[in-house]
Amino acid sequence: MIPVKQQSGLYKLVVTHYGVAAVFFFSLPLMMLFSVKAFTGHYFHPQILAITHMAALGWGTMIIFGASYQLIPVVLETELHSKKLAWISFSLFLPGVIALVYSFWIFVPGIHMQCGAVLLLIAILLFTINVYLTGKKKEQQTIQEDFIFTACLFLFFTAALGTALVFNFTTPVFQQDQLHFLKIHAHLGIAGWFLLMIIGVSSKLVPMFLVSSYQNTRLLSFSYYTIVSAVLLFAIDSYFFGINYKTYIIAVVGVTGIMAYLLFIIKCFRSRLRKRVDIPMMSTLISFTLLTIAIVIIPFIIYYHLKSNPVSIRYSLTYGVLLLMGWVTALILGQTFKTLPFIVWIKHYEHLTGKVKTPMPADIFNTDLLKVQSAGFMLFCMTFIPGCFFVLPWLMYVGLVSLLITALAYLSNVIIVLFHKTKTYGKL
Amino acid sequence: MANFDITDHLSFLKSEIMETLRLVIDPELHINIVDLGLVYEVRIDEPEKRIDIDMTLSSSYCPMGESILSGVKNCIESHYTAYTCNVNLVWEPVWSYDNITEEGKRSLGF
Repeated sequence: MIPVKQQSGLYKLVVTHYGVAAVFFFSLPLMMLFSVKAFTGHYFHPQILAITHMAALGWGTMIIFGASYQLIPVVLETELHSKKLAWISFSLFLPGVIALVYSFWIFVPGIHMQCGAVLLLIAILLFTINVYLTGKKKEQQTIQEDFIFTACLFLFFTAALGTALVFNFTTPVFQQDQLHFLKIHAHLGIAGWFLLMIIGVSSKLVPMFLVSSYQNTRLLSFSYYTIVSAVLLFAIDSYFFGINYKTYIIAVVGVTGIMAYLLFIIKCFRSRLRKRVDIPMMSTLISFTLLTIAIVIIPFIIYYHLKSNPVSIRYSLTYGVLLLMGWVTALILGQTFKTLPFIVWIKHYEHLTGKVKTPMPADIFNTDLLKVQSAGFMLFCMTFIPGCFFVLPWLMYVGLVSLLITALAYLSNVIIVLFHKTKTYGKL
Repeated sequence: MANFDITDHLSFLKSEIMETLRLVIDPELHINIVDLGLVYEVRIDEPEKRIDIDMTLSSSYCPMGESILSGVKNCIESHYTAYTCNVNLVWEPVWSYDNITEEGKRSLGF
């Protein structure tokens, strides 16, 4: 075995995704500031749809795509199949996100929305093919590979169903209403795509960053089969019967899988040799706490939904905010400053190591901005999420100003890292 | 961990090389590769003027692996200009946490 060498040309591809995602993240609090009223009502609202897709695609998926091109070759111990395919995917994905989000925002379900959805679907298909062909080069299959490829398949199914729903606005595709399919679309995306992808990649990276001696993958295998079963069962069951009493059992199956993964993380954390936990890893741990809170809400959503109690809408909205703006965002905010400085450091300093004194990857970003970002995000979670649940617009505004500060600090720090100039401190 | 035989006339140079290798730092952990226990053996071929270093990485998918290996070669060749350096990446014995020295563990906050 040889260590995975950074492929030439990969740098530009990866940092472009990070840069664009940071700009999209900055647009999120601005969009949300204009939509506070929408957050007090039903989640099936044009502005909420626009914000959700900006968060899920423009922010979460964009950065996961970028990080994947860097990390999948590391996790799967092989080279990326095709950079060209990755660039084509990006050049379709970017206009796709803009067209879809804009047409949701103004809510004109015509040709722009349909084109956006189709562009995204093709971009995601190309990404999935690229990941599959990358994994195929490798003989030995690992549980991480199963997580990553299954996640890509679920993303494709999410996008396919989403595209059908977009066409359903103008041409009847389904007999049932949009809301019936919305929860399937959302859970294929959240549990099928985000959860499986995050588990697949983090189960290699978290032990590595914590220098953990825990190597057992039995918990991960259990987690994989239970989560995949739960997503499939939920999609099939709710397609035929909607939310019903069986949904509790399916939720228990899925949550058991998530608990197995969290137990794996706890075991890695306990057996870590690196005792100091830095800010990015702290942000990662906060993300798991937000995921746990979101899980706790699930039985309440099912209970109130079955009672046809409108409070289920508040629970559902808070659940969505906790997952996308809480769990996924906290994870990305932390892991960006674990991965991006390394990518930039390799480009600037790999050839200089051992010759001259160089900065370390952690010296490339601004620590004060990272502290501002973390404090801003914590305040956002402590104000916007309860504000959303208890319908307190003033608390939501406080949260959104905090998120704006978070996004500004994040974007500034990403720019600092991307425009880093090589510097040395003399001979070793 | 490399061991040195004092009856070997090159043992002083070998231990000096080992000390020099402390200048190569793992970019993520901020600990030198000697205290991390990554260096297994240093051999010197005096007639050929070649230094061979057998070393490992903490994991085969280490994204910093290439940087650490080139850092070792650069470091040795810039300090011992009369020699060429050959870095052999080995996976046996498998690196474990027990390889980390007491100093390394202290640096990790243990």
